[in-house]
Amino acid sequence: MSRLLSSALLVCATLGLAACETRNIVSSPVVRFDRQVNYGDAKAVELVTNEFGSTDLQMIAEKMVGSLLETGIFQGRPTVTISTVKNKTSEYIDTTNVMNSIQTTLVKSGKVRFVRSINEMQQGVDELQRQNQSGMYKQSSTAKVGKMTAAKYTLEGELTSIVKQSSTTKDVFYKFTLKMIDVEEGTIEWQDEKEIRKSSKR
Amino acid sequence: MNALKKLLLALTSTLALAAFAQHDPGTPPAVAAKVALRGDANGVRIPEMRVVRRNDILIAQADLYNTVNTDRTVFYRYRWLDSIGSQVGDGESWKQMTLMGQAQQTVKSVAPSSVVTDFRLEMNVELR
Repeated sequence: MSRLLSSALLVCATLGLAACETRNIVSSPVVRFDRQVNYGDAKAVELVTNEFGSTDLQMIAEKMVGSLLETGIFQGRPTVTISTVKNKTSEYIDTTNVMNSIQTTLVKSGKVRFVRSINEMQQGVDELQRQNQSGMYKQSSTAKVGKMTAAKYTLEGELTSIVKQSSTTKDVFYKFTLKMIDVEEGTIEWQDEKEIRKSSKR
Repeated sequence: MNALKKLLLALTSTLALAAFAQHDPGTPPAVAAKVALRGDANGVRIPEMRVVRRNDILIAQADLYNTVNTDRTVFYRYRWLDSIGSQVGDGESWKQMTLMGQAQQTVKSVAPSSVVTDFRLEMNVELR
């Protein structure tokens, strides 16, 4: 009798679960074709190849920002500008991506003020000229020439790599070094580095 | 009837246990409360966590200790919260770390802004 009760219970539970599943299946608001595309997690660890990837960029940016914020070097919200970040690896890597991530997080922290970098200056000059020389704007509302705030510090860095391979293994070692230099005095006020090793089977 | 009750109890307990992540018994409850563990700990214990506020920024560190002889792959990231428990920022990226057998490593992170007052360590442990 007890064996019969147990079996009956198991059957009921299975049917109950199956019934729940059928009732809860609904369509999703997507447009799909035969070759499906899915959105992935932008924060996930990318392990497609051992070349420089999104996870490396994110790790470098997070380490550098954390180190800068931790030291308290941004007392009084100084002005900083991005200088060159050299790519000394053999890969094509857009280092402005790394610096953009660093700058975005630092600006959001509210601890530092960034000013236009050398690469961004022309756009600023063009806008000032447009406001002041086109004759289209009220003089009281235009931004005046010669009023920009200069940077107290500049951020410079470089990315290097060491690649070693054997018949079974390929090992890539990246090192990103970032320095914050006082523009007037030329002194290095802060420096840190991030090392990343990626290994793969050949 | 008793046998049936025992079977039901066994089934319910198994399902209940399987539904929740299993922290390593060596992880103190106060630390476990700050860890959002996905899946089982697979022998990785967190004996200590340290939090300090330096220059108005929260800095958190956690010691991860592999209690078994075989290596483990740990995926982790910190989630930063403000005073009411809301997430601050878009979230950190996941990091992958190899924890060798019987080894200890410290994972550290710095909060992205001074409004952060709390954190959680999200992690999952893979068998290598």
